[in-house]
Amino acid sequence: MRMRKRLVWTASGVALAGSAVARASGWNMPVGVTDLSQDIYGLHMTIFWICVVIGIVVFGAFFFSLFRYRRSRGAKPSRFHEHTTTEVLWTLVPLLILVVMAVPATATLKAMYDTSEADMEVMITGQQWRWRYEYRGEDVSFTSNLATPREQIDGQSAKGEHYLREVDEPLVLPVDRKVRLLMTSDDVIHSWWVPELGVKQDTMPGFVNENWVRINEPGTYRGQCAELCGRDHAFMPIVVEAVTPERFASWLDERRSAAAEAAMGLDREWGMDELMERGQEVYATSCASCHQPDGSGSPPAFPALAGNQALMDDRERHVETVVNGVAGSSMAAFRNILNPVDIAAVITYERNAWGSETGERVQPSAIAERLAD
Amino acid sequence: MASHLPPKSTTQHEQPASAGMAAEPHAPPRGLKRWLLTTNHKEIGTLYLLLSLTMFFVGGLFAMVVRAELFQPGLQLIEPEFFNQMTTMHGLIMIFGAVMPAFVGLANWMVPLQVGAPDMALPRLNNFSFWLLPVAFTLLLSTFLMPGGAPNFGWTSYAPLSTTYAPPSTTFFILSLHLAGISSILGAINIIATILNLRAPGMRLMDMSLFVWTWLITAFLLIAVMPVLAGVITMMLMDINFGTSFFNAAGGGDPVMFQHLFWFFGHPEVYIMILPAFGIVSVIIPTFARKPLFGYASMVYATASIALLSFLVWAHHMFTVGLPLVAELFFMYSTMLIAVPTGVKVFNWVTTLFRGSITFEPPMLFALAFVVLFTIGGFSGLMLAIAPADFQYHDTYFVVAHFHYVLVPGAVFAIMAGVYYWLPKWTGHYPHPQLSRWHFWLSVIGANLTFFPMHFAGLAGMPRRIPDYALQFADFNMVTSLGAFLFGASQLLFVVVVVMCVRGGQQAPAKAWDGGVDLEWTVPSPAPLHTFETPPDFRPPQH
Amino acid sequence: MWRVIASVLAAFFGVQKESRRREDFSRRGAGAFIVVGVLLALVLVCLIALVATLAAR
Repeated sequence: MRMRKRLVWTASGVALAGSAVARASGWNMPVGVTDLSQDIYGLHMTIFWICVVIGIVVFGAFFFSLFRYRRSRGAKPSRFHEHTTTEVLWTLVPLLILVVMAVPATATLKAMYDTSEADMEVMITGQQWRWRYEYRGEDVSFTSNLATPREQIDGQSAKGEHYLREVDEPLVLPVDRKVRLLMTSDDVIHSWWVPELGVKQDTMPGFVNENWVRINEPGTYRGQCAELCGRDHAFMPIVVEAVTPERFASWLDERRSAAAEAAMGLDREWGMDELMERGQEVYATSCASCHQPDGSGSPPAFPALAGNQALMDDRERHVETVVNGVAGSSMAAFRNILNPVDIAAVITYERNAWGSETGERVQPSAIAERLAD
Repeated sequence: MASHLPPKSTTQHEQPASAGMAAEPHAPPRGLKRWLLTTNHKEIGTLYLLLSLTMFFVGGLFAMVVRAELFQPGLQLIEPEFFNQMTTMHGLIMIFGAVMPAFVGLANWMVPLQVGAPDMALPRLNNFSFWLLPVAFTLLLSTFLMPGGAPNFGWTSYAPLSTTYAPPSTTFFILSLHLAGISSILGAINIIATILNLRAPGMRLMDMSLFVWTWLITAFLLIAVMPVLAGVITMMLMDINFGTSFFNAAGGGDPVMFQHLFWFFGHPEVYIMILPAFGIVSVIIPTFARKPLFGYASMVYATASIALLSFLVWAHHMFTVGLPLVAELFFMYSTMLIAVPTGVKVFNWVTTLFRGSITFEPPMLFALAFVVLFTIGGFSGLMLAIAPADFQYHDTYFVVAHFHYVLVPGAVFAIMAGVYYWLPKWTGHYPHPQLSRWHFWLSVIGANLTFFPMHFAGLAGMPRRIPDYALQFADFNMVTSLGAFLFGASQLLFVVVVVMCVRGGQQAPAKAWDGGVDLEWTVPSPAPLHTFETPPDFRPPQH
Repeated sequence: MWRVIASVLAAFFGVQKESRRREDFSRRGAGAFIVVGVLLALVLVCLIALVATLAAR
């Protein structure tokens, strides 16, 4: 009896220590910073401990039998092969456990599906291989690209602390506000996942899914695309920065004026040098991952731009391809992603880099007119 | 997974005619033609098992490439594009090329022997359904040589990544799956016909061994769902080549429909790969516990329940695609229900051991490891059934850990248990005891080292199907890769054991295991080419 | 008829007595079991759907 008591204490001690380690060390699901992620964590741990208890009973009986009824110990086989009461009992007990488990799971699921009465809305669009965020009704939108330098991926420089989980522009959200997340995709299925927010939702091309989040604590939360979406599936991270509502409001203002500034200059003639300089930056963030920094592409999926004479001879097709994309391929329609100045600059860059030197400039005003049609 | 060539017909007549032999010798064709034209269930079973072993190593090689790239963060060995081809082909080859043919091979060998039939009911069809497979897999593997490379969208082939955005070789992938699917359907028809029509006189359905029972139910599952797979990949084919828009929203289609159709096939497919494993284990455990299977009737009924429920749970693979709340609840409840009959099976195996007289020969070791490790996979399955939690687990390494636990120490260990169990019957020799123990322990350690850390990586937030990962996952991945190399290497030992067993070793009597009760132990070891040409004298065992 | 339903329910539940099983299998033909099995499977689907609908309210 005393022995058994000691066993129970030891077992629960190990269990507690185990769960403490799991919580602290990144071996377990994060508890997260939303009510829902905490509910999910609770469900996860409950079902986990149920499994542990069942496991101890079943494996206990299993190893006891293996040890006790070895033939080398002289065990004589019994012939029993049926006992209906036992069988009914061990069918009913798991059934009951599952019913008990289903009740809180149902409640949490219902809460996850309640997207009503949101304070604001963000449209999240997956694209091969970046995320686009649009603050609905706020006139603010931007794309968020992987910020980890290529040299770190190729092992030519030391990997940073947030290797593959850093972006050029994070999604900024206010804390203590219910944010409705609308999700869709421009090409294939992606999945927007930030573990600490307890949100994972597939983005389906042509359909809009809804989810929501209310973050309790300011901070930076990282995740990444969870559904295989092609070559750079591993390289489309998500970073959410949760700030106070006041800071969020001022961030929105800054973002609006910065966007306006970036798009400025539609009314003037741009010189070659400034177009090339800006084009190079845009190319590096928006194009180089597929068409490669040196424009060599990776055919057949991603055609080469350098030395592509057919493209250089057909400026109209070049502009059309960048502005409207190519249906049924990975080439996105950049009219929704870049502003006219950036589009003009990057086309100019592509037509004058890597030895092409057509000498042609594409003016932002021309692109703006085209977009207006 | 591999076996001895059954002896030439000239020698078999020297064996005692206890089980009924061919009255007249006939000269079978020799050399390649013998194997190409054979209609003998034992030879075809051997062919299936050899194909499966080959594919196991091909798929295993792909897994090794994947694990080598994932050994450390960063891109070291291969490009992401090729990595995706590796994961896709690993899945396809292992499922359709290794696990399924292995079970069909075991069925070919053992179903006629266990029901007391002279051969499969439809021997020529049997030959045809086997020879479709080498063609299918040559076609599938040839996609590596095509422009754009092999399929790279995961074995689940979610549209539109697998249609609009797929490499040109996808059409060949579809064709090869069609061939494999036809082969499976024909094989299933053959197995059903054999079981229902060719049982020994006096053998009722409820006298059959659990292996035969689970295969009967599996065969019905195959016939029910393989056409669904054929339908969905044909729709892919149309979307790619003929301008339809089944899965293209821009043309009025729906990518979610692909997933519904795929998983309506895919979930029963999971049970197709595990029910025969249940059968093998349910035969082996009573043999080495020297005690009848506990709750034989319940085992059959539980298998039937699992088969039925497997049609009602498909959307639990799709909890995050944006299903309506009612659908989420329906599939959560039905998924929880399927845990019950599965649990009943585990309880029955444990109770069979209770008060038995247990010995630990290699087949028993693998069967016992199956019970424990499959149950661990069952537990993570139970966790995945909780839909809200699945939003965190879905598409992470936690899922990868789950299905590898049920497929590797689950299905694959059961196949190995079956091979070790029946090798004496196939070759006339016992497998080398020491080497097979080494193979067992290295496999158990390797498999757990590989798959257990995946749970942690997944919970910590690592998505599946990525060639490079954030630094916090580095330790888990390194352990997993080391375990994978160990597991892969120890399978070479398996080949050594099998080859040695074919070539010699301790002679096995007709009843190679003293606890064996089924009919295969009444024919000589090695089993002659033709058995049960006159029906055996069958007395129902006490189940 | 009740016997058939009870046996099919036992199959759904996954537990059956050896003696009952013997009786069932001494009957000629499986037609009744198959029909009842299919019907009860439909009932099961409706039942889960009903519970899900009520829970989603």
